[in-house]
Amino acid sequence: MKNLDNGKLLSDYGNVLVLLLLCVVISVVTLEEQSPRSTAAAENLAAIIVGGAGKDANILILVRRGEGQQEFANTLKNTLSKAGLNVTDTVVGTPADARAALGKQTEALDVIATDEHMAAFCLEQLPKLAKKYPTLANTTAYQPKKHLWPNFLKKENLLNVLKQISVVAIIAIGMTMVIITAGIDLSVGSLIAFSGVITALSIQQLSGGADPTTGHLLLGCAAGIIVCALIGMGTGGLVTLFNIPAFIVTLGVMFIAKGLAFIFSQSAPIPIANEGFAWLGRGSDLIGLPNSVVLMLLLYGIAHVIMTHTSIGRYIYAVGGNPEAARLSGVPVKWVLVFVYTLCGLLAGLGGVMEASLHITGDPKSGTLVELQVIAAVVVGGTSLAGGQGKIFGTLVGALIIGVIRNGMNLTGVEAHMQSVVYGVVILIAVMVDQLKNRAQKTN
Amino acid sequence: MKETLTLLPAILLTTWLGCGGNQEATEPANTGVNGENAEKTKGIIAYTPQTLSNPFFSVIGDHIRAEAEKNGYEILIVDPDYDVKKQSDQIDDFIAKNVTAIVLVPCDRLSVGPAVKAANKAGIPVFTVDAKCAAEGAEIAGHVGTDNFQGGELAGKAMIDALGGKGGKVLILDLKRAHSCVLRVDGFKKVINAHNKEAVGKIEIVSELDGNGDRTKGYQSTADALQAHEDLDAIFAINDPSALGAYTAVKEAKREAKIKIIGFDGQLDGKQAIKDGKIYADPIQHPDKMGKQIVQLVVKYQAGESFEPETLIPATLYTKAEADQDPELK
Repeated sequence: MKNLDNGKLLSDYGNVLVLLLLCVVISVVTLEEQSPRSTAAAENLAAIIVGGAGKDANILILVRRGEGQQEFANTLKNTLSKAGLNVTDTVVGTPADARAALGKQTEALDVIATDEHMAAFCLEQLPKLAKKYPTLANTTAYQPKKHLWPNFLKKENLLNVLKQISVVAIIAIGMTMVIITAGIDLSVGSLIAFSGVITALSIQQLSGGADPTTGHLLLGCAAGIIVCALIGMGTGGLVTLFNIPAFIVTLGVMFIAKGLAFIFSQSAPIPIANEGFAWLGRGSDLIGLPNSVVLMLLLYGIAHVIMTHTSIGRYIYAVGGNPEAARLSGVPVKWVLVFVYTLCGLLAGLGGVMEASLHITGDPKSGTLVELQVIAAVVVGGTSLAGGQGKIFGTLVGALIIGVIRNGMNLTGVEAHMQSVVYGVVILIAVMVDQLKNRAQKTN
Repeated sequence: MKETLTLLPAILLTTWLGCGGNQEATEPANTGVNGENAEKTKGIIAYTPQTLSNPFFSVIGDHIRAEAEKNGYEILIVDPDYDVKKQSDQIDDFIAKNVTAIVLVPCDRLSVGPAVKAANKAGIPVFTVDAKCAAEGAEIAGHVGTDNFQGGELAGKAMIDALGGKGGKVLILDLKRAHSCVLRVDGFKKVINAHNKEAVGKIEIVSELDGNGDRTKGYQSTADALQAHEDLDAIFAINDPSALGAYTAVKEAKREAKIKIIGFDGQLDGKQAIKDGKIYADPIQHPDKMGKQIVQLVVKYQAGESFEPETLIPATLYTKAEADQDPELK
């Protein structure tokens, strides 16, 4: 019994192995020299310079501007000054600032302490500038030692991957439930655009077009999400009441929502006049995790509990497995279907709000073809389009697989049409694995 | 067992995050750069256009590549396929990769703003080619584009020429959501209005329809306009695909002998159509120069030299005379 369980688990979560394999492969191909920019790296660099230069050497600190760079420069400055060296100037800025600072040196400059980018500047410009300014004749530039590390495994990059899949992954929760009931929802991409436009318009209306407060923002988001949930409910209603195939109903809703998004926005993106709106899409408050990622993980946790520990979860599987049997055993089939389409619409609305937040704009063009990415994530995650089977966390893994492939190909500069081919192959492999799995289960 | 498997990715992920941090902190720093231990490349220039399926942007890309490699930079080209979300993600990827500079053709002049600001925050200079970024607070280090207004004026002059001083009725196929195309129409109208003040043969713009910048819509809109205006004399389309779509409709109505078409861009199939007499003339842009000059701005920026932040390359008129001399064409 135990063995059988393990075998089933492996087939259920086999895509985790695929994900890990992908991570390893992409890590290898994105292996590159990295230049450390931490304060510890600054201290180490300072120690090297102290060891290499004379006691009263003149030092200029040149660092490219950017996040955390001021700290790097300050650490360099403090450590060097403490060691008794003479720091003539500290520049955190553009190459133009660096050039100006080099021209201003009145005494002979011995050392430039720098980072990777300014090192490239020094390498090229220092010999030229030395001809113009005699103070630079004997100047040496030092930068932190580089080490090999995959670009893919950099913290910022991994967070980017999670952030980039968050919208698709969140909508995929609803899509997983819909597909488990043997349905489909093609309207989610259009709902992203519709929700973003409704949100931006509501915020504009509420605030009279200028300086929306946080309250206005929240109300706007609620409007976008609720409207999409209602549309989802309508979809569910049409599917159950008139017994129209979900494919057709949601295809209709897809066109309607897309058209309305363009009509309401008059075909132009609607900017939201409050930078605070970027909080959801671009902010990161909890231990450095982007807010959209925290939301995604939270929703997956909730969805997992719903699917495994509640009666509605069991009903959803039952409806997908055999609707007639489910009806006879007292499952409210129609309500279950209305519930999953409403939830899918609601999550698409939330996705639209997140997308709008990312760009601080309600854009009718957004969400194009996202429905296919969402369906791909669900399918790659091991949910069967035939219904009755599927795991919420499988979908998260599916979304991760697609996100990781996309990121890996962007980091290595794979050409766009080739990317499309790779996605297609991944989806086909996933479906083939799904089929083999089903066959294996039947023979068991 | 189940829990362990579910948690596996999370555990691995956190280990990696931890590793990333530690690695940076413990790695000893060492001697730096001198002339002799020169690096292989000076860094990476990353390019994200609106799409690579439009040859205009891929020609820019080709010349960015050539000029970048000439100056010792690596080049990374990606394709957002008109999707500003994809483009923003790509910019985030560029930032994670810590590229030297980003060259961008914004898919949307406003929505790309937050991504540009993220690059600003990371200290990576952002340059725009062709289309501009109009988001408030987004810092653009330099821009190279076509002087679209002047190009529109050229189209207007070519139109006067095409109608042979007799004047006539003109249809415009526009693309209002692209600012550059609005400028083309503005320049066109300025010349036509000035002409109408003096000349006897007045040029009347009878209709302005959306050509969507593509063949399909250009064809549909022209077909409709041909029904509405029995006496149409000429068409100005804001780019080559919509001009070629217009030609298909005109030919279908068997009115190609009378109706003159003026396009814009000078893409290869547009130029060929000019040679074949399907299109009368094109104000052409110079994507080759644009690609080259944007890299030159990057190089100047990196060297800390001062430069003009905005360069507009004038369009030039391309007629059958030029097409007959063009070695690129059949």
